[in-house]
Amino acid sequence: MAERHSFGVNPITCHAWNRDRTQVALSPNNHEVHIYQRADNDWKLVDVLNQHDLRVTGIDWAPKTNRIVTCAVDRNAYVWTQGDDGKWKPTLVLLRINRAATCVKWSPLENKFAVGSGARLISVCYFESENDWWVSKHIKKPIHSTITSIDWHPNNVLLVAGSADFKVRVFSAFIKDIEEMPQPSPWGMKMSLGQLLAEFPNSSGGGGWVHSVAFSGDGNRVCWVGHDSSVSVADATSQMAVSKLRTEFLPFLSCVWVGPSSLVAAGHSCCPMLYSINESGQLYLNCKLDVSQKKEAGGLSAMRKFQSLDRQARIETSDTTLETVHQNAITCLCLYKGGKGSASSVSTSGLDGQLVIWDLQVVVIVVVQVPLIFVTVSLLPTYTSYAK
Amino acid sequence: MAKNTSSSAFRKIDVDQYNEDNYREEEQAELQSAPVGPDEAEITALMNQGRHIDALKTVLRNAPLGSKNQQIKDNALNLTLRVLLAIKASQIEEAVGALDRDLVDVLMKYVYRGFESPSEGSSGHLLLWHEKAYVVGGVGSIMRVLSDTKRA
Amino acid sequence: MAANPLQPYLNAIRRTLEAALCIRNFPSEDVERHNKPEIEVQDSTNNLIGKPLIISRSPLERTLIESSINSVRISVKIKQVDDVDAVITKMYMRFLTQRADQFRILRRKPIEGYTISFLITSIHCEEMILSKLIDWIIQFMYDIDKELSDMKITLSKRARVVAEEYMKQLL
Repeated sequence: MAERHSFGVNPITCHAWNRDRTQVALSPNNHEVHIYQRADNDWKLVDVLNQHDLRVTGIDWAPKTNRIVTCAVDRNAYVWTQGDDGKWKPTLVLLRINRAATCVKWSPLENKFAVGSGARLISVCYFESENDWWVSKHIKKPIHSTITSIDWHPNNVLLVAGSADFKVRVFSAFIKDIEEMPQPSPWGMKMSLGQLLAEFPNSSGGGGWVHSVAFSGDGNRVCWVGHDSSVSVADATSQMAVSKLRTEFLPFLSCVWVGPSSLVAAGHSCCPMLYSINESGQLYLNCKLDVSQKKEAGGLSAMRKFQSLDRQARIETSDTTLETVHQNAITCLCLYKGGKGSASSVSTSGLDGQLVIWDLQVVVIVVVQVPLIFVTVSLLPTYTSYAK
Repeated sequence: MAKNTSSSAFRKIDVDQYNEDNYREEEQAELQSAPVGPDEAEITALMNQGRHIDALKTVLRNAPLGSKNQQIKDNALNLTLRVLLAIKASQIEEAVGALDRDLVDVLMKYVYRGFESPSEGSSGHLLLWHEKAYVVGGVGSIMRVLSDTKRA
Repeated sequence: MAANPLQPYLNAIRRTLEAALCIRNFPSEDVERHNKPEIEVQDSTNNLIGKPLIISRSPLERTLIESSINSVRISVKIKQVDDVDAVITKMYMRFLTQRADQFRILRRKPIEGYTISFLITSIHCEEMILSKLIDWIIQFMYDIDKELSDMKITLSKRARVVAEEYMKQLL
């Protein structure tokens, strides 16, 4: 159900897949980006993108144009294109920021990308062919702290950003030089660059850094996860109504939509979870993706438990392994198969240096919940071919 | 020439505080009338009737978490601690079970506030409350105590 | 198994630590290309700092857990009933803090009003297993309690022997 791949003991800061999922780009928590080619169940290091001089914070791989964009604490971003020899060549992007870049995302049409930063602004970058370079425009107001996460609306114009000032904001990132005026969306009509279209506080209790944000497949909903262990969804088609679920777990660091009304969130509790929205718009916990049980080493465990009790006079045993597949916080969550509207598997990476691929279909089939039936049905053909 | 060149006070000026992009706590006007906190007479009456759990619910539901007035917050804290300490150890589990999840979060905030001003015997009792509230609210309710800016 | 009288206190600390140690690598907003423990650089903006939590066992014994987006400071006040306790604790902490490098997470100087402080940053969480780190702190608090009371007993034993020997001369 879960495929585990280990890439050493270093944490994996973030990862991104190429279009056919044969290669993965990941950063081993330093200034490098490693590209691995999959060979059956093994991974071959095919290239090392070595241009940043401080820790890489974001990677995104454009599926159609096959370009990689990376950003790092050194305040720079590079767009990487593959030469004929298969090696990747960098192009520096002038972000014009004076603090660390924290996250990066290609727009759906792949003609621009956005970079969030600790300089309390978002750089929207596009390619200016006359000058043959990437230029950036800034979205500044009213951001009061580091941008922690960004995501694009499917219309290629709207941008949602989560920030350490406890707010989620929807901006327009319309670049009039390179694109046509978009169709109006439920988020609003005004489209000039930097226009604030919606703003949501993370919680009514105030506080809680926003760790991750995502637009749904149809672009009408936004979900986010905050440091108060909550998962929230705002719906533009119902007067920006917010459904918020305060969970009993540790906070989540990443979230993605995997269906029209279901999403996966993962973070400090090391276990990805599937949340769904019912007909009345309320969020609920659908199931945990990680159902692994702690491995008991035969009859030994009882004895070991007594020994440990004896030694420490405590209730806890001194076992190092967690019950979950991931052994430390999950920091990055990507779609592996399918799109935002109907994903059939997701991949997670975390501080334990593991990359894990989770099959959603099995979960969905086992736990048949009403709102999810259509996901199951639509995914069935792919599932059977996958099973062969 | 500047007169006092040995002064180093200017080095200590926090220039960052003048950055207009800095995070500031919102000076939002209180939407409704400012919260006044729980009514002491009502709580005392409930306690005297032996309805401790009702008293607990009332005091938590009316907690003035968003209030800017320290006096109101302190009064509410004292009142809440009185209720918490009046409930017997054997009743705690039942009391926590009677609360809904949001109130458990509020309870957790007051338990931590109670730890800040320990009196003889109060801490042991609050540790019991902590234990029971944790069973219901999970580690998530501690996260809310840490991250919420509307504090007890 | 006889319940340890310290157990409820340590349980509460363990759970609070689990919550507080949800920290992430976070580059500084104030200084470019830097990464600082935000809990140590508290300035005019305070949105990166969480509410400081105190867990007390008695008016004399408490733990302060201050968290921020990328670091946590844990300060322990150890019970000191009399001057002997105070002296033993002071000497013992001096011994430990002088070797702070070996302990990685030990802060060289405790926070005002506390006996000993730890500083855990996101870097520590990346290098070490978090659950083990929490175990270690809890174990440390458990041991230090025992060790200090053992030391006190040894000290009074020794003082008793010394006094007896001294008194013998006067007889």
